[in-house]
Amino acid sequence: MVVCVHLPRFELIVAAGGAEALAGRARAIAPAPGSEARVGEVSGAAEAFGVTRGMALGEALARCPELRLAAGDPLGVAREWERVARALEGIGAALELARAGLAYFGSDGLRGLHGGDEGVIAAARRALGRPARVGAGPTRFCALAAALEVRSRRAAIVGEETQARRYLASRPVALLGYRAQTAALVEPLTRLGVRTLGELAALGRDAMADRFGAPGALAWRLARGEDDPLCTRSVEDCLEESLELWEAGSGLALERVLGVLVDRLLARPQRCGRTLRALTLSAQLVEGGTWRERVVLREALSDPRRVRLALAPRLALLPAPATELRLAAERFGPPEGAQGSLLESGCELQRARLRGAVAQMRVAAGPEAVLRALCVDPDSRVPERRVVLTPFTG
Amino acid sequence: MGSRTLNLPRPARVRMGAGGVPREVDGRRIEQVRESWLVEDRWWTGRPLRRRYWEVVSTRGRDLVVFHDLGTGEWFAQAG
Repeated sequence: MVVCVHLPRFELIVAAGGAEALAGRARAIAPAPGSEARVGEVSGAAEAFGVTRGMALGEALARCPELRLAAGDPLGVAREWERVARALEGIGAALELARAGLAYFGSDGLRGLHGGDEGVIAAARRALGRPARVGAGPTRFCALAAALEVRSRRAAIVGEETQARRYLASRPVALLGYRAQTAALVEPLTRLGVRTLGELAALGRDAMADRFGAPGALAWRLARGEDDPLCTRSVEDCLEESLELWEAGSGLALERVLGVLVDRLLARPQRCGRTLRALTLSAQLVEGGTWRERVVLREALSDPRRVRLALAPRLALLPAPATELRLAAERFGPPEGAQGSLLESGCELQRARLRGAVAQMRVAAGPEAVLRALCVDPDSRVPERRVVLTPFTG
Repeated sequence: MGSRTLNLPRPARVRMGAGGVPREVDGRRIEQVRESWLVEDRWWTGRPLRRRYWEVVSTRGRDLVVFHDLGTGEWFAQAG
């Protein structure tokens, strides 16, 4: 059995500063700086005026003049969503995180622990500590349909696979909008007069694949109660480093700050010699709001120069100057190996000895035993902003 | 490790003369004022920075940089 946990309007609630801020008010997430002028998630009051997610800003304001915009907070959303995910993992759930506010996990291994599917759902609710829509079914699509249908304090459980097919037959095709691969099909299917998943399933696989390609075939499978197995994440530590920028940073100054963050991250003892596989670069923007960019390295690295080279181009994507920069290591690779060369040069030998000495110093006297002074903003008018101490990386 | 910066300001005892000019810094009498400049920054945030810097020379020939925090009224010494 798959359990679906859905927290509606998660991004908007975080951006607005809490669910209370949305009560009875027409709110929407403002377009990100530099992006297309379309609103993000919208509140229920805004929906009542016909405003929907992805609508052009001008049209949204024309439909609802009282609409108030909240700056998007991708960094806050990621943090809060991680907190929710950790809470669910605390009951033993192996999670598949579809997007912020939508997660799935299998209940098969947890029934004995919590006392049946109802017990698992109750444990998940307790762990969340907030109203959430929870549904369970034989597939994640069916569990999602069940979760969307129930009230916040109840749970819907759809039993067997044959029951799932009957259950899904009367549900609207709009459910396909919750899956990234099939989201684009909702609009054309509605235009073609296909209103329910039962009608979609009756069209046949060949017809759907012929008209819509692979997403069409997937939509047909989903409508028939079939789905791929869950793809759960592995639980890993998340190491994070941040640096507040005295002056709104951009360009070269920001690259220097990034260098400091990379050095600090690589010097963290919790890394235990592991290489970095996926990193998240995020920033607090001077205009308000946040920016977040996930970087998956082509190969796992622990060389500070190569990590900096991989991350530095992403700084150009910053939509506005930043007041704080953060770097987090989300996934790690295997520990770095020491590969000897056939002909060792004296210089290389000296460098290896230096690295060994630095490692020994850190073990003996802590992570701050060996530092180097790095000029981050040498031309600043405020003297204490010019140089910072950063771990020596050899 | 947290943010570690070098050259942080340290509190200084300063006796002022007319116009806010330092006359004595940590018990050292001041011979000459070499330069003075104003730094105003982060005025768009909740933590604005307003400092009047003075580069002075003591009677023993020592070069000192002190600033007057215009927000709190305190004096600090700092390498320039």
